[in-house]
Amino acid sequence: MKKFIAVFFPLLALSLLLSPPLFSAETVKIGLMGPMTGPWASEGQEMKQVLDLLAEDINSAGGLNGKKVEVISEDDSGDPRQASLAATRLTTKGVVAVIGTYGSSITEATQNIYDESEIIQVANGSTAIRLTEKGLDYFFRTCPRDDEQGRVAANTIKKLGHKKVAILHDNTSYAKGLASETQGLLIEMEGVEVVFFEAITPGERDYNAILTKVKATSPDAIFFTGYYPEAGLLLRQKTEMGWDVPFMGGDATNHPDLVKIAGNAAAKGFYFVSAPLPKDLDTPEARDFVEKFQKAYGHAPNSIYAVLAGDGFRVVTEAIKQTDSTDTQKIADYLHKEMEGFPGLTGKISFNDKGDRVGEVYRVYQVNENGEFILQP
Amino acid sequence: MKDQRNLIYAGFALLLLLSPLFLNRYWVDVLNSVGLYAILGLSLNIIVGYAGMFHMGHAAFYAVGAYTTAILNTTYGVPVLWAMPLSGFLAGLFALIVARPIIHLRGDYLLIVTIGLVEIVRIALINDVFGITGGSNGIFGIDRPEIFGYRIRKPAQFFYLIWAFAAVTVYLFHRLENSRFGRALTYLREDEVAAEGSGINTAHYKLAAFVIGAIWAGMIGTVFAAKMTIVSPESFSFWESVVMFMIVILGGSGSIPGVILGAFLVIGLPELFRGFANARMLFFGAAMVFMMIFRTQGIIPPRPRKYPIDEATP
Amino acid sequence: MEQFFQQLTNGLAVGGIYALIALGYTMVYGVLKLINFAHGDLFTIGSYLGLTLLTSMALTDKLGPFFGILLLAVMVMILVGIVGILLDQVAYRPLRESPRLSAVVSALGASIFFQNTIMLIYGASFHVYPQNILPRMVVNVFGLHIPMIRILVLLASVVMMLALYTFIQKTTIGTAIRAAAEDQGAAKLMGIDVNGVIMIVFFIGPALGGAAGLMVGLYYGQVNFTMGWIYGLKAFTAAILGGIGNIPGAMVGGILLGVIEALGAAYISIAWKDAIAFLVLILILIVRPTGLLGERVAEKI
Repeated sequence: MKKFIAVFFPLLALSLLLSPPLFSAETVKIGLMGPMTGPWASEGQEMKQVLDLLAEDINSAGGLNGKKVEVISEDDSGDPRQASLAATRLTTKGVVAVIGTYGSSITEATQNIYDESEIIQVANGSTAIRLTEKGLDYFFRTCPRDDEQGRVAANTIKKLGHKKVAILHDNTSYAKGLASETQGLLIEMEGVEVVFFEAITPGERDYNAILTKVKATSPDAIFFTGYYPEAGLLLRQKTEMGWDVPFMGGDATNHPDLVKIAGNAAAKGFYFVSAPLPKDLDTPEARDFVEKFQKAYGHAPNSIYAVLAGDGFRVVTEAIKQTDSTDTQKIADYLHKEMEGFPGLTGKISFNDKGDRVGEVYRVYQVNENGEFILQP
Repeated sequence: MKDQRNLIYAGFALLLLLSPLFLNRYWVDVLNSVGLYAILGLSLNIIVGYAGMFHMGHAAFYAVGAYTTAILNTTYGVPVLWAMPLSGFLAGLFALIVARPIIHLRGDYLLIVTIGLVEIVRIALINDVFGITGGSNGIFGIDRPEIFGYRIRKPAQFFYLIWAFAAVTVYLFHRLENSRFGRALTYLREDEVAAEGSGINTAHYKLAAFVIGAIWAGMIGTVFAAKMTIVSPESFSFWESVVMFMIVILGGSGSIPGVILGAFLVIGLPELFRGFANARMLFFGAAMVFMMIFRTQGIIPPRPRKYPIDEATP
Repeated sequence: MEQFFQQLTNGLAVGGIYALIALGYTMVYGVLKLINFAHGDLFTIGSYLGLTLLTSMALTDKLGPFFGILLLAVMVMILVGIVGILLDQVAYRPLRESPRLSAVVSALGASIFFQNTIMLIYGASFHVYPQNILPRMVVNVFGLHIPMIRILVLLASVVMMLALYTFIQKTTIGTAIRAAAEDQGAAKLMGIDVNGVIMIVFFIGPALGGAAGLMVGLYYGQVNFTMGWIYGLKAFTAAILGGIGNIPGAMVGGILLGVIEALGAAYISIAWKDAIAFLVLILILIVRPTGLLGERVAEKI
């Protein structure tokens, strides 16, 4: 026990000493809160790659208002309690703004902490509607909301002429929100019927039982609002069953691994709605970014959310540059009122009073026989 | 020897009491988390440590408490701390109902049943059971607690709330440990058959231990809900139960100072390891194994009870 | 009715894999009375090692799919078996004489360690087995669509289980394992090298888990570093359901759990499927407190 104390407390003291001083004039600190460990680790790790790259870019070009930009990342593990600790930790590090995080309920657990410390938060993957309905002045997001995506999804289903739709979600707050939103819109539409609406369990491997059950309701299209690992498996197992019903996904299925998991043959013809991929934007910013990312890490960015985190970083640094200040009130005001059509990596960015991104963001994609994501007109 | 130990504990308590003065907000908040888990660990300790039942589903009772508070506060406007007694009561009632038929299961069979219990509760919460749990969104917008008109918001304020609760818990559970009830539980853990032979109604005592542990977990659920202002199913997964379980066993099953130290290690170490970035949980896993190997009985195992004879005999 | 039988085959396929993993739990438990919570991660290691060996050595190109996979399976089983022995030596052996729950916590620590090791080595993203290693055929029996590979997976699990059962029942080493499971002290007195037996058990159990990992990789195509946790939990449930420590029990429990899940999803609710499975487990344990095939002996009298 004494030996233990002799080890534990010096360790604690050491780690306190090693924490960098609170404020320093030379750098502008931007926080990143993302899932670096746990089931969504691949998202968080790529978010960090994107931000590191963008920060390096700014620094090699002379910095932000003459100061260096420093990215301080913290792991939220995709768990609300750990996220609240990560957020509190970031508030003690003198960050101006925090980018993140991925899941809506994880973001929610941190919103008040940042707001009370008057730190800007720009979420990148939290699409739940209620997050911006609280009137928080410092909260923004670069991803669109579920209601917007639901609208695009429902219209696409209608446009493709599907009459009997099965909706599957995975009971995460994002997927369920999108599923209910779409269901509500489809029910109002003439001639479209939702014949199946249920949740799968994410993280499993075998969805044959679910598919067999869905098949018995004989839908002429399936809309799955969950994430790409399950979407890939569903596609693959659906094809193995010899069932060629059209399959559509939400923006969480936008990930190259989807095709790897499903295989080209099974993924062919899969539709999904998503913010446009950087490769489909001909803005110089996007092309430049993809090229640099490719060079630094050897592959194009996988996750659209990581790119949206990059956009969060870019709007914040832009606001700091334009206001020539790190005063968060000024930055927030700038983002709310003055930023107009900022050329983001995923298209033009402006924010409304609630902090939501305005404008049509979603596009429809289809997978071709080579497993490429093709933007639909 | 005994005095020396008490001196260490007293010094530790004093250090803890003063720590918000010299720690920053983040470390105070880490201590808050440690405090919450210390109390949860102590409540689980009654079931695992004293009564010797393999229970890995404590998050189920914690969830019942937290959700009760959240619902009472957001739907009926009950002030958060006022919801505490009912949260504890419902968690206890829930434990009584579910534990009654399974209490006779031995060892690992009880373990899997309690795991099943916490999974069923989590799935029920996700699926918005009775339409009151908010599904995977959980329940948000829970008020901050108020004591005598004084609103608790900052980490340092929560620190004193949580650790005051912890202090009360330690006092009560210490009394319990040395009571007739506590001694009966210890007997039951050491030799169930002999205990039954000596006229101890084992099923009754086990059930009582279960219910007391659950009540306490439900009450701490209130504090958790108030602190986070949001409760969602992710916070009550099976893994959360595993964390509580590790706290008890690693610290020293059946020992109050052990469990508190266990909470410091299991909750504190991943925070200390943040410097290792993506490898932090790797180091944490390795640390768990090594601590267990070097202190196989837990880091501070309970002291054997002594009953000095010469004082009792004239 | 057609749907019922289709769901039954769905359940059997999942259950076969649960059963194979459950065997590892049950063997270790039988001898050491230890719940090896790191077993699920040994399963994950098996699927990742399989992927690495498959892509780096191109066995299936050289030897054809059947012998290629067979050799691959043998290599994966040996490697994961060795990891299992190392795990036991480092994390469990020092805890033989201490309270049982201490070893459980050590196992949980080892599980966290393994999971994060895999994440750091292979990265956090999903990994995918190459397609079309096994012929993709669909068999149509009485109007049921059954992919060929599913029959192979089920067949492979059954073969491995039968081999294990024969090994345990008929060979000298098997008898030694049974003796050690019955009473370690007495086994020692009869001249059985109990430590050797434990090593064998810690080789076979993880090896079977590794084989299951390889099969999951080949069958479903997608692996990631956290998958062992869910499979491990399911397999542990299966082992308990059948009566832990009992080898036929693990098989019955695994298959039954798979079928309960499939039928629960089909006829009650998909979202409640795991809760239904646990509920059935609890009900079975209330009626039969030591599982379906567990021995009903009172402990410690």
